[in-house]
Amino acid sequence: MLPSSVSRHDSNRSRRDPTAPARHIDPLLMLSVAALSIVGIIAVYSATRGPGPTYSSSYLFKQTAFVGIGAGAFVIFSIVDYRKLHDWAWAFYGLTTLMLVLVISPLGSQSKGAQAWFALGPFQLQPAEFAKLSLIGALGFLLSEFRGDIDVRRLFSLLGVAGLPMILILVQPDLGLVLILTAIALAMLLVGGLPTKFIVVLTLVGLIGIFGALNSPVLKEYQINRLTAFANPEDKSNPAVYNIDQSQQAIATGGVTGEGLFNGPQTKLGFVPEQQTDFIFTAVAEQFGFVGAAIVLLLYGLLCYRIWRIAQIAKDSFGSYVCIGVLAMFAFSIFENVGMAMGIMPVTGIPLLLLSAGGSSTVTALAALGLVMSVHARRFQ
Amino acid sequence: MDTASPRTRMSLVGVVVIGCFMALFARLWYLQVMEAPRLQVQAIANRTRVVAVEAPRGRILDVNGKVLVDNRTSLAVTIDRAAFKKLPDQADLVNRLADVLTRYGTPTKVSSLEKRYADVQFNDLYPVPVATDVSEEVQWYLAEHADDFPTVGVERRSTRVYPYGAAAGNVLGYVGRITAEKLKVAEPGIDPDSGAVKSYQSDSTIGLAGVESTYEKDLRGTPGVEMIEVDSKNRPVGTSAYQAPKPGTDIQLHIDIDVQMRAEQSLQDKLLRLRGTNQRDGTLRNATAGSVVVMDPQTGGVVALATYPTYDPREFVNGISQERYDQLTDVDGVSALIDRSISGQYAPGSTFKLVTATAALSNGLITGGTSYNDQGVYTVGNPAQEFTNAGSVRNGTISLPTALTISSDVYFYWLGDRMDGSKLIQDTAAAYGFDKRTGIDLPNESSGYVLTPEEKKALKDKYPDSYSDGTWYTGDNVQLAVGQNVIVVTPLQLARAYAAFANGGTLYTPHVVWRLLRPKNSEVDPGGVISVIEPVVTGTVELPPDVRDPIVAGLSRVTTGLGTGSSAFIGFDQQAFPVVGKTGTAQVEGKADTSLFASYGPGLFPRYAVTAVMEESGFGAEASGEVVRHVYEILAGQTITDAAPASSGSSD
Repeated sequence: MLPSSVSRHDSNRSRRDPTAPARHIDPLLMLSVAALSIVGIIAVYSATRGPGPTYSSSYLFKQTAFVGIGAGAFVIFSIVDYRKLHDWAWAFYGLTTLMLVLVISPLGSQSKGAQAWFALGPFQLQPAEFAKLSLIGALGFLLSEFRGDIDVRRLFSLLGVAGLPMILILVQPDLGLVLILTAIALAMLLVGGLPTKFIVVLTLVGLIGIFGALNSPVLKEYQINRLTAFANPEDKSNPAVYNIDQSQQAIATGGVTGEGLFNGPQTKLGFVPEQQTDFIFTAVAEQFGFVGAAIVLLLYGLLCYRIWRIAQIAKDSFGSYVCIGVLAMFAFSIFENVGMAMGIMPVTGIPLLLLSAGGSSTVTALAALGLVMSVHARRFQ
Repeated sequence: MDTASPRTRMSLVGVVVIGCFMALFARLWYLQVMEAPRLQVQAIANRTRVVAVEAPRGRILDVNGKVLVDNRTSLAVTIDRAAFKKLPDQADLVNRLADVLTRYGTPTKVSSLEKRYADVQFNDLYPVPVATDVSEEVQWYLAEHADDFPTVGVERRSTRVYPYGAAAGNVLGYVGRITAEKLKVAEPGIDPDSGAVKSYQSDSTIGLAGVESTYEKDLRGTPGVEMIEVDSKNRPVGTSAYQAPKPGTDIQLHIDIDVQMRAEQSLQDKLLRLRGTNQRDGTLRNATAGSVVVMDPQTGGVVALATYPTYDPREFVNGISQERYDQLTDVDGVSALIDRSISGQYAPGSTFKLVTATAALSNGLITGGTSYNDQGVYTVGNPAQEFTNAGSVRNGTISLPTALTISSDVYFYWLGDRMDGSKLIQDTAAAYGFDKRTGIDLPNESSGYVLTPEEKKALKDKYPDSYSDGTWYTGDNVQLAVGQNVIVVTPLQLARAYAAFANGGTLYTPHVVWRLLRPKNSEVDPGGVISVIEPVVTGTVELPPDVRDPIVAGLSRVTTGLGTGSSAFIGFDQQAFPVVGKTGTAQVEGKADTSLFASYGPGLFPRYAVTAVMEESGFGAEASGEVVRHVYEILAGQTITDAAPASSGSSD
């Protein structure tokens, strides 16, 4: 490992400096991120332009703008040293926690049954999306401080840090985001050295918690519908079954080679509910077929592989934990979102990161990937 | 493991992620490759609605090819019920729609729109027609103000049109929307070329009367099929497949519309002139109803079939109101919806003497020269029962031809008396086609009856309250001989009997339809003949010369000289067109007589059999005779005359 005393501020020398961050951009990560973002814009447009003869392009412009903003965030997070997040982790965590409190106050607004948004003119800000990033920072900080030495007290501090945003988000409620935060926390705790006995205990507590939630009035009717729809897809009286049927029919309509861009009948005619957000994968699968959908999954696979690799070659454990958090965030979102569209996972409102329409999730995803890129670029510094 | 390196645990995370991706790939393959065919069928069914497109019905032509029933395109205002249900201000929309319709020529009540809209027979998938046959102005207005009338549309549909107005309405019949009950039981016709089933939908049109009803399977067109692609809100976005509807088969009738209109006009004129006058015995002639039948004796083809009162099929085009329908069932006490020419049942009176004469001659009771002294009265039975001629006229010693010409009842009372104890008259009546339906291709035909002693007894046993006596008396046979009391016939049966006598004894099934034709715009063989309804022989009457000749001799002189029908034929050129016929005056308890006239012509080479029957109208010659003469004027190409003022009549 090279000495870390090399000045990061001497631009004159950095050109020849083999450890300079600019020389260690991960091209495959870049490629997959760029490709998925562009596919996302096309998919969102195709799912929202309507059956014609006049087409709506408002989603096209919005999503393009979000990807643009997200690209800016990606660049900033790549350039800025990821260790700054280590320094600012608690400030960031505190800020998002404050926003999560404010959003369930009268300052926030409701949409689709969840008190999860700040209305900012034509846009809506979803602070829970940012909580994913701030949790990654906070847990990364703690785990790197603990250096794998986790006792019961430390476990509780970790669980407290992870639990606070989860509880605030449950109040909204947004079950999907809570599940993502859970996945992030679990993966980070696992890699961060949580003793096996704690893992066993946490798993048991988690199972009991799920069982308890299913049998208590905590869950809303639509949430129970979604879970029972997954368990019993033949019950056509269940409105959630309609979603799953339409989604799978749209995917099947694509066949091997797809119906072609803007030619997917189920997409064009609006048969898949929430297609531009939760069910965006169906738009890809119907229009581009198995070939296109498999390429998209391969791009996601490549992305995950690169994040996983960066986690392993990161210079320090904080960088490593951050990458594992981002990996968990992506892997869980992809599996849950694509899985529910194909009927192998229960329906939960989780966006397919980079593909689904939405400002907060797109910007957060790109910022997180910028952070990963920063870890990669600074692995020799 | 507690001290296991982060790398090991990262590998574990990697394995989990790889497992997830493999699951996704497997499921993707399953859905898009293995299960795709099944799920794609579901998806197509999900976004496609199959809508039947009603085809225009076949046209109806008269014997000379004149179009009696055609189609035109009309406009109907529809409401898309599925979308309408979600509108916030439904009542306001319906009010405004009623206003627009009323303003542009279709006076419409809000309640009628609501009634049509709420009709459960309509399927939610199709827009419900709430107002039919609206003006072009309505269409333009609704198009210009489409935003103010959400869910409201205008559809083009094919509607019946009648170039000859009300003429032959009873033959043509009318169409209407199929009822829910009919929809369940209707057997659809088959397309003659493609073999496609002409299936019915909830708003299909179906023939409800006349040939529209009996030839429904031919007239109905083959519905087209439109596969409409709909979006998730069930809004049509395009047509994925379209098979054009095919017009139904045209049918050409034996009816000659000019003869038909002449018969209808003459019948109506004469009834209205007779109405309110008195017949000779002082009874008021209500002249409520009547009918005329014109047949071709050589084929059974029906040239005209007039009935009065009747209806105008145009009133049914857009659906008739219950109020108007009720009015039609009671026009001066009788229903205009009944075709009396085929379902009216009347005692035939002296027109039945054709049958009695045939029975007596065929069985050797008399010959053409056998005479009998007619003293104006005939007495039978114990206690004695007296039967008289009309006005108790004494005709002296007469033979059969004269008895027919001057209509001696006594001569036939004598024949009836001599045939008592046999069923010779009933059997001969059956040979002439009485006592059962003729089988004409029109709905609701009656059979009439000619009672036998056994039937009279059976009636008494079955309806003891209505029939006081089940015994067959000689008097019954005497009355049967002159077509009274124990016999009723339909005007069509009477016309067919005279047609059979005219052609030498062959009984044909009457037909109003001559042949089926391809539509004029058919791709193959436009206007070509698909099939001809061949004459059907249902029986024969044995009429050797020694039977037929004396009867012809008697009936030929009815319309001339001393004949009972001569007054009606004054001025008619019988040299050019001899008319052979018989008057009839049937007594009806408490009412004026039924006036009948049955005939054929021209004498030696009969081309037409014409019969008229008029209720509460008096003697045969003065009412029916004159109407029959008017019909012969047009058949024979002679001078057209008008109905004469009513007289009190001279003789039977």
